[in-house]
Amino acid sequence: MEYFDRFAIPHPSPAIYASMVAIGLTVIAILIGLTYFKKWGYLWREWLTTVDHKKIGILYLISALLMLFRGGVDALMMRAQTAVPDNTLLDAQHYNEVFTTHGVVMIIFMAMPFIYALMNFVVPLQIGARDVAFPRLNALSFWLFFMGAMLFNISFVVGGSPDAGWTSYFPLAGNDFSQSVGTNYYLLSIQIAGIGTLISGINFMTTIFKMRAPGMKLMKMPMFTWTALITNAIVVFAFPVLTVTLLLGTMDRLFGTHIFSMTNGGMDMLWANLFWVWGHPEVYILILPAFGIYSEVVSTFSQRNLYGYKSMVASIVIISFFSFLVWTHHFFTMGQGPLTNSIFSITTMAIAIPTGIKIFNWLLTMRKGKIKFTVPMLYTVGFIPIFTIGGVTGVMLGMASADYQYHNTMFLVAHFHYTIIPGVVFAMLAGLTYWWPKMFGFMLNERIGKWAFWFIMIGFNVTFFPMFFTGLDGQARRMYTYSEATGFGPLNMLSFVGAIGLAIGFAIIVYNVYYSTRYASRDIGTDPWNARTLEWATQTPVQSYNFARTPHVNSIEAFWDHKKKGQPLFKGEIEKIHMPNNSGVPFIMSCIFFVWGFSFVFSMWIPAIITTIAIFACMAHRSFEKDDGHYISVEEIEATEKNSEVLADENR
Amino acid sequence: MKIDNSLPLEYGTEQNKLNILGFWIFLGAEVMLFATLFATYFTLEHRIGNGPAGAEIFELTPVLIETLLLLTSSFTIGLGVHAMRIGKKNAMMTFFAITLLLGLAFLGVEIYEFTHYVHVGAGLQVSAFTGVLLTTLGTHGAHVTVGLFWGLFIILQVKKHGLTPATANKSFIFSLYWHFLDVVWIFIFSFIYLKGMM
Amino acid sequence: MSELFPRKQVMGFVFSLVLTAAALTVYFLDVSFAIGMTILLVTAFIQAAVQLIGFMHAGESEDRAAIYMNIYYGVAIALVTIFGTLLILVWDM
Repeated sequence: MEYFDRFAIPHPSPAIYASMVAIGLTVIAILIGLTYFKKWGYLWREWLTTVDHKKIGILYLISALLMLFRGGVDALMMRAQTAVPDNTLLDAQHYNEVFTTHGVVMIIFMAMPFIYALMNFVVPLQIGARDVAFPRLNALSFWLFFMGAMLFNISFVVGGSPDAGWTSYFPLAGNDFSQSVGTNYYLLSIQIAGIGTLISGINFMTTIFKMRAPGMKLMKMPMFTWTALITNAIVVFAFPVLTVTLLLGTMDRLFGTHIFSMTNGGMDMLWANLFWVWGHPEVYILILPAFGIYSEVVSTFSQRNLYGYKSMVASIVIISFFSFLVWTHHFFTMGQGPLTNSIFSITTMAIAIPTGIKIFNWLLTMRKGKIKFTVPMLYTVGFIPIFTIGGVTGVMLGMASADYQYHNTMFLVAHFHYTIIPGVVFAMLAGLTYWWPKMFGFMLNERIGKWAFWFIMIGFNVTFFPMFFTGLDGQARRMYTYSEATGFGPLNMLSFVGAIGLAIGFAIIVYNVYYSTRYASRDIGTDPWNARTLEWATQTPVQSYNFARTPHVNSIEAFWDHKKKGQPLFKGEIEKIHMPNNSGVPFIMSCIFFVWGFSFVFSMWIPAIITTIAIFACMAHRSFEKDDGHYISVEEIEATEKNSEVLADENR
Repeated sequence: MKIDNSLPLEYGTEQNKLNILGFWIFLGAEVMLFATLFATYFTLEHRIGNGPAGAEIFELTPVLIETLLLLTSSFTIGLGVHAMRIGKKNAMMTFFAITLLLGLAFLGVEIYEFTHYVHVGAGLQVSAFTGVLLTTLGTHGAHVTVGLFWGLFIILQVKKHGLTPATANKSFIFSLYWHFLDVVWIFIFSFIYLKGMM
Repeated sequence: MSELFPRKQVMGFVFSLVLTAAALTVYFLDVSFAIGMTILLVTAFIQAAVQLIGFMHAGESEDRAAIYMNIYYGVAIALVTIFGTLLILVWDM
């Protein structure tokens, strides 16, 4: 039995036991449901083995929404705990675990898959491609991410959650101060998900470089595709840093090296340094696709072309390079000299310039536009002022000497939520509402969507604005409680009230999905928003091959010019289309990765060795496999396109 | 599959071109992977705790043998790709086989080197310096090990299927990988060993 | 037989051996740290370029612009990471 003691929870509580039971029951319910409704074959054929970028996008989307729920519950628990002084809802250990998992889940397992959900679905359509460059690797990316997320999420019922903060600084995260396996979960699960992300980065860069429709030069790409390209370039160069950092952390925790330790020459500050070498570019990985979405939305609903296309492109390229030059501003107070702090202070402020250019471009796009305040547009318009508050407080934090006052206070927490929530969450909700009809063939209800927007917008500000004040008053972040004498009580209670508003907003979105699924009209045509880019030029729902005939592009807004000026978009006859075959290997390989990660977390070396060999066996299998894909015949395409207005439109 | 005969076989199809560009981008990521290890190594180089310093444990002879083995293997795989391009299947397979044998010899010397370090009291757990040294060398060595298996699979496939766009593409990409490992080794040789012994 | 040993590749190999020998001077001759590091930096980067252009044919395909941009970007960020880290943790700590 001693062997199994390692799987026990170090700090159990009734809530965790209840979660265990709930997880067990849910798994049993899913298994029984799949068997009862005979859906196993459907699940395997249509989803687990799919290499279709659109389905993978939807898989990412579902995972991201699940993780949003999980991270949101963590957030509510934190706000509830700090709502009143000397609260005992959570003890210190649980609070540590909750803020750690909140950060990791929201950044790595919610925001990342959300942007990859939209990139997967939209980018190949926007560039007129059949799929991504490496469809099989795309499936592998998703399943690695998914298994990483699952591994992280079982931590709180098997062995204990990580509790050293989402930044997991050493020496706190070392074996001496974090004795449970929680930090092992952190290291291994992010490693697995990170490998998946890196593969996606390579995949999308190659796709965008090589698979654009004829005539779509780089400077004729839609803005979302531009941001996707640059984002993936940052992924390719930033994620290897994370890989190595996590590897070194794993070496320290599992193999007794002294890289980040306090003894034998180790340097704990090196972790903070390497973490942020990845961590700061990661911020821009999250924010750039959001900028792309806002650009698409603002131009569609202002009904005019994007203002300053070239300066938009220039600013994202500059941001991508600068994002690698500012990482020290996350630890100005660590003890390096004034020279270093000055250099990074200046680069930090410089990066605000290209971001400012973009803000003005959006404002100038709206100027003289015929603005339609749809739900995506509301999120965009809401984003601009609150993101600016986030940006300006960022410049405040970027002043190294002033940072000594703000560092690690709630002011910082308020700042980064003011950038990430409008910058990522609003953008994702805007993008989701905007592309929802293309994904599912019906529109989300506008009226319910606006209710959700206002709850989220107001709830967000009520939650996070008070934190600027408590932070300046000296409330430190990650403090599980405080005494009444500090006077932080009322503002924290206000934050809690705001958090409930946010929660209601998200609940309304869930209701909206349910409501619209049941009642929304299915007869929406291919282009319900009167949009401007190629993804709206094909049928809804999109066929597996995306476009029956390859589009030909000769302007930035090819589809718009096609609609307004009658420029021909599709030329020539329908030809047979080559498509990749489905494969179960990515899913199976990722399951093996899950076991591999689990074995390392608990230092179980025999399964670790077996699974390592199995992973390489999967790769060898792929090397020897002959898989040339399949063709979709002309007759088949014509049959599916028969009712499509796209063809009818052409023949007119 | 459309095959474009105006280009070398490994660029012959659209998918082949995608594979090659994708692999170059992967190599860009590998640059950052090793750069992070180097950044760590340089930071911890002199933080030796109670363990030995680099100058005390590095030996020129095995390092020089490793360097020559890897440099030569990089040369022979270049010749292998050249033979492939002029359609000499057997010569190509011979060059690839020589490359893998040189790689295997490199790995043998590296294993000797590691046992030597442990023997003289510079094991993984001794100090920050030894930990990062062995992790960096080990990461490179693991890449070489993966490369040996990969190269073997490719030789088997060329033997079975001959020089097709698919096998030529795989062979060319493998050669990129192998050259890249040599580039990394040059930096290890210069900035870990020679700098340490200087 | 000679067609299997193109001049360009043989010269590249000889050149890389010469560069290795040049780098070895820092071990055999008594040079200062600054001069030694200069020699190593020069020989290592030239050697990397020989591999990249001579052996890896980085410039041969239609994607040469993307390939070179990718490598330059990677090397630039790699150098920023290495020297930035050293600045923060060693030189200015």
